[in-house]
Amino acid sequence: MIRRERRGWRFVVGVILVTFFAFLCIVPLVYMVLVSFAETTTMYIKWDDIRLFDFFNYRYLFENREFGRPILNSLIVVVISVIAVDLISCTMAYGFEKKPIPGKKSIFNLVLATMMIPTQVVFISLYVMMRQWHLLNTYIALVIPLVGAFGVFMMRQFIRSVPNDFIEAAQIDGCSEIRIYTRIVLPMVKPARITLAIFTFNSAWNALLWPLIAATKNEMHTLTVATSSLTSYFATNYGPPMAAATLSFIVPFVLYCLMQKEFVEGIALGGVKG
Amino acid sequence: MSPLMRRQAAFGVAYITPGMLIFLIFCIAPIFMTLFYSFTEYNLAQPPEWINLENYEKVFSNSQLRRALFNTVIYVIITVPLQTLLAMFVANFLAEYLNNRYGRFLRSVIFIPTLCSYVAAASVWEVILASKGGLLNEIIGIFGLGPFNWLGEPTSALICVSLVAVWKSVGYFTIIFYAGIMNIDVSVREAALIDGATPRQRFWKLTVPLLKPITYLNVTLGIIWSFQAFDIVYKLTGGGPFGATSTVAYIIYAYAFLDFRIGYASAVAILLLVVILIIHFIQQHFFEGKED
Repeated sequence: MIRRERRGWRFVVGVILVTFFAFLCIVPLVYMVLVSFAETTTMYIKWDDIRLFDFFNYRYLFENREFGRPILNSLIVVVISVIAVDLISCTMAYGFEKKPIPGKKSIFNLVLATMMIPTQVVFISLYVMMRQWHLLNTYIALVIPLVGAFGVFMMRQFIRSVPNDFIEAAQIDGCSEIRIYTRIVLPMVKPARITLAIFTFNSAWNALLWPLIAATKNEMHTLTVATSSLTSYFATNYGPPMAAATLSFIVPFVLYCLMQKEFVEGIALGGVKG
Repeated sequence: MSPLMRRQAAFGVAYITPGMLIFLIFCIAPIFMTLFYSFTEYNLAQPPEWINLENYEKVFSNSQLRRALFNTVIYVIITVPLQTLLAMFVANFLAEYLNNRYGRFLRSVIFIPTLCSYVAAASVWEVILASKGGLLNEIIGIFGLGPFNWLGEPTSALICVSLVAVWKSVGYFTIIFYAGIMNIDVSVREAALIDGATPRQRFWKLTVPLLKPITYLNVTLGIIWSFQAFDIVYKLTGGGPFGATSTVAYIIYAYAFLDFRIGYASAVAILLLVVILIIHFIQQHFFEGKED
């Protein structure tokens, strides 16, 4: 351990500054939750208007603006994409890392290079494609762009740390290929899979651009799209939009509170290993 | 190749083929399709019509687009250095001097804005920055300042959009830096301490050089993401006032999916790709051949 230094006024100023910084990070979100309980008929929000734990703005969203459907849509998209990304990333990463495929280095680099491409370049033609195949306004269309090179790249880093001896020993013992993959490799990279699932969850839940393009019908809107289309109707009442924003924030927030270690370690590992 | 190796290679091909098909069809093919559309006039109703370089010629004489490119560059210049430096200083302080429960609590709090979507972030900042009755104007009103029309004035609107983006993403970069600093060998830091290096020397001569790969990663990610800024502009200002906050990504969206000028939007998108690639190569050179 680093031995404690004399803590002078610099340290105190530092603590105050960082505390203030953390305060700035959290205040807008606290404000968002507070206003979601407020009924404001003018543009001026008074503290007296805030009636904590009176969920009238939330009730309004579900009763008058059918918010159940976008929430359900978002959940469906999240579940499908977490499963799809896990499946595709793990199998591809295992093939690339542990199997002697001819020319695999250049194929892998091709996959990696797609990370550099701006999403707009892909989305224009993907939209044309989905339109021609009549896949707009389907869950499949909403999930497809969430499958990306990042998962393959990340899982490959972790599968690399599975010792080849394990796999070879299992092969000598006559263990079938499928069993090696599902019973040896996958369990050993479980923490990484959980991290990838969290990443996928967050990007699927928070995505805006593609759902905005691919879901043209109201009943296929995701929660972010429904939230973004709210404010314009409520120029003077901030309650309902803030309630919608709170709803979309609360789900990843609860997940973060439950799995903080996995969140932080996943991002940290991505940085250190990448 | 031995039969055993060939068998293994066959398994490998089986593992990567389904995923590769998805990549080829839904990610790599669309890139080339967009390249093709960029040389055509296409409005989805009629089949694409080849018009050579006409779209690109129009792009360079489009003042709306020049404005958007200018805005995007300003946005990148504000967000990337600010979020990188802030994250580095905060992470360094937390890791070096506040490595206790309170420090870890602050770290958890700083990460929270990263969790919310740009839409939620923009929704609440729209209320905070509102010219009448917004929280920020109320607060500075106590000191006898304002009220300002933060999102209504062209200059302040672009700065506000950039700062909200920094607020949203700085926690992410802080976590990466924090992990990087914790990953520096304790013995190296201890040696510097025993040799009597001041905190400032330790930061500039030790932490910053050893963090170079991580800084490279953060700057690269920051540039790529900032050049594609869309969500926050869409929700917070809709590109306004008078195009003062429209970014390239926003204009591509408007051309392609509001006006259905697929060919023209494709040309702009391809140019965005070229700009990002050029900056990436310059930056790679700048960091002296440090690659992943």
